[in-house]
Amino acid sequence: MAIPLKYNFRNLLVRKVSTGMTVAVIGLVVGVFLCVLALAQGVTRTLSVTASTRNVMTMRVGSQAEMQSVITRDQADQIQSLEGIERSPSGKPYVSPELLTLINVPRQDGKSSNVQIRGMAPIGLEMRPAVKIVDGRMFQPGTAEAIVSRNLSNRFAGMRVGDTIKSGSFRWAIVGLFDAAGSAYESEIWTDVTDLQAQTKRQIYSSIFVRTPDQGAAARYIETVKGDQRLKLEGKTEKKYYEEQMVTGAPIKVLAFIVGIFTAIGASFGAMNTMYAQVSARTREIGTLRAIGFSRRAILASFVLEALMLCLAGGILGTGLAYLLFNLVLTKPTGTMNFRTFSEVLFNFRLTPPLIAGGIVFSLAMGLLGGFFPAARAARLKITTALREV
Amino acid sequence: MKYFRLIWRNVFRKKTRMILTTSSIILVLVLIVVLTSLLQAMQQDPSGGRGANRLVVQHATGLANFLPLSQRQRIEQIPGVVAVSPQIWFGGVYKDDRPENFFGQLSADPEIYFDKVFDDATIDPAVKAQWKANRNSFVAGEAIVKKFGWKPGEHVVLRGTYIPISLDLVFAGSFKAGDESNVFFHNEYLNQSKWFGADKYTGIYYLKVQSADDVPRVAAAIDQMFENSDAPTKTLTEKQFQLQFMEMLGSVKFLVRGISLIILFAVTLIVANTVAMSARERVTEIAVMRTLGFRRTHILGFILSESVLMSLIGGVLGVLLARYFFIPGMVKGMQTTPMAPFLLNFRVTVPTLAAAFGISVGVGVLAGFVPAIRSSQIRIVDGLRQVV
Repeated sequence: MAIPLKYNFRNLLVRKVSTGMTVAVIGLVVGVFLCVLALAQGVTRTLSVTASTRNVMTMRVGSQAEMQSVITRDQADQIQSLEGIERSPSGKPYVSPELLTLINVPRQDGKSSNVQIRGMAPIGLEMRPAVKIVDGRMFQPGTAEAIVSRNLSNRFAGMRVGDTIKSGSFRWAIVGLFDAAGSAYESEIWTDVTDLQAQTKRQIYSSIFVRTPDQGAAARYIETVKGDQRLKLEGKTEKKYYEEQMVTGAPIKVLAFIVGIFTAIGASFGAMNTMYAQVSARTREIGTLRAIGFSRRAILASFVLEALMLCLAGGILGTGLAYLLFNLVLTKPTGTMNFRTFSEVLFNFRLTPPLIAGGIVFSLAMGLLGGFFPAARAARLKITTALREV
Repeated sequence: MKYFRLIWRNVFRKKTRMILTTSSIILVLVLIVVLTSLLQAMQQDPSGGRGANRLVVQHATGLANFLPLSQRQRIEQIPGVVAVSPQIWFGGVYKDDRPENFFGQLSADPEIYFDKVFDDATIDPAVKAQWKANRNSFVAGEAIVKKFGWKPGEHVVLRGTYIPISLDLVFAGSFKAGDESNVFFHNEYLNQSKWFGADKYTGIYYLKVQSADDVPRVAAAIDQMFENSDAPTKTLTEKQFQLQFMEMLGSVKFLVRGISLIILFAVTLIVANTVAMSARERVTEIAVMRTLGFRRTHILGFILSESVLMSLIGGVLGVLLARYFFIPGMVKGMQTTPMAPFLLNFRVTVPTLAAAFGISVGVGVLAGFVPAIRSSQIRIVDGLRQVV
């Protein structure tokens, strides 16, 4: 027969201070673990969300990022005439030759960062259905106007509608803000590609953004580009491209792993200490339980369960802390550097249900590790010696 | 000191508890040393503070735009300027696309680079001579050489990314410096490869001025000189230049600091809990000691000393194990992870270890404080009456 859970629960309540401290330790450790994972999750999601499998980005062979690719006007003209490109209801091909460059602009906290500025054909907006203009209007070609993401506008100085972005001799008037549904475009400024070429004195493009009618057409288009020996270009679906960019989040995941392992072992040692103290303080009690007929196995299970309850409380506390932190303090998007482009990627910490589940499992693992050995000691106690204990 | 034996025996009274608590202190200290060293590696100052009289000139709009090479001569003529090396960030791929094989690849002017500009790097004169003499040769930071095991004369191919050419370079030798995460090859080699821009443009100018006092004047003079040209410049001190990248890591830095603080707090709670449990079990004993004539301050001192002693043991072991066991192992283990590029400048410094040790003392004091006060305030009658 099993020892009722109420017995463990009351025991935890009786030793308030010791229980409270252990719960706090486990809670902090789970909270830290979730923070790091939520950061990695945020970066990953930013780079993968809403990317389409129908949109294809054409870049120079070997380019790891758009910024590294160079496409000449001739190449761009040849691509426009390739097969498999969808046309808009008005008959215009869905092709947007784009140029990407970096500008260094001041943030609201007084420091400055590199931000990507994307020159595109006006049709480029239509090709990215997840992006919506939320304030002001779209830029007009030929007027040095730009639209910026709402996230950037919140993070950088002088980026509201009506402001002018200044960087070196470049000037762009902001006429609108857009929302990019949490995607990588949230870290960008958009303007007309011809204007950007004129201001930066470059006659090239970084990539050609093309929409195809379906996935099969996208694959055929990619094959055509690859097969054309003159072009020396390669196509990737938007989705694949951003998946490859996710290496940015990889070091953070390694960090999460290291922090997680070290703190988990440390905290489970703390839990183990608490449980050992419980076992030795309750030696006579254990003897009594054995004497009235509870088996060794029941004692083992009871103490392991008690450790699990202790750590579960910690896990819930930690998840709660992380939740409050993300919803009350870290609500603004934060940035980290994409080492491939030397520009800032904006993202939000994201506490997803799988992460929450992971945090709880993590706390239970600590409970199991911290509870097993003390429970085994309790189960091994001899009835006679246990009862004789003061 | 005469009570040291008593305190020592009390610390080791319950061996399992002592080992577990010390182990958690050790684990946390190792983690803090690793995190601090990683942060330092990321914000490596290439000169170790000696770059105060070096400047970096970049395009006013940022690094993505190139500067005309014609500017070099004009910068050299500014009084106070010692030498100017144009440099291009090649950003190529070594072996394969995996992030662990990433390192900095820059062109430089070999005639002056180690002699007049990056002059706090240590390089064998023979290696330097060889690098200067062979247009297709390159030198690399020792950390990179160790990682990839390059031998002098070995060919290393870097596949270009934004520059559409491949470099076939011959390894000349290594240099030692604060920042060993870069390799340097000839500007001329890039130029000769007929990449469209290399004979007319450069990414940045890296230059040295006579003394740190010249820095603001020269920087202002350069920016003024090109203000209204096609390529306006932004001149930064070496430190500001590095900071550009660090600023973008902003939240990561904040996160690492935050994590360190929180886990320190957690380990303080663990130690405090241990001390409190051990004090609670000895209430009767403490009352007996008081009866024998030990004062409240004695008891306070004993319990606090126990906590500090336990933390000190953890601190000493933690620092030693971090330095000689955990960190070498972890660095080796992380070489094949995306973390690898950050490890090139990864060094565990004495100040970091000293700080970790200091932290352990702090944890001991903080953790022992409350239990020590509570134990010292127990009334003798209550203590003797209590049955644990």
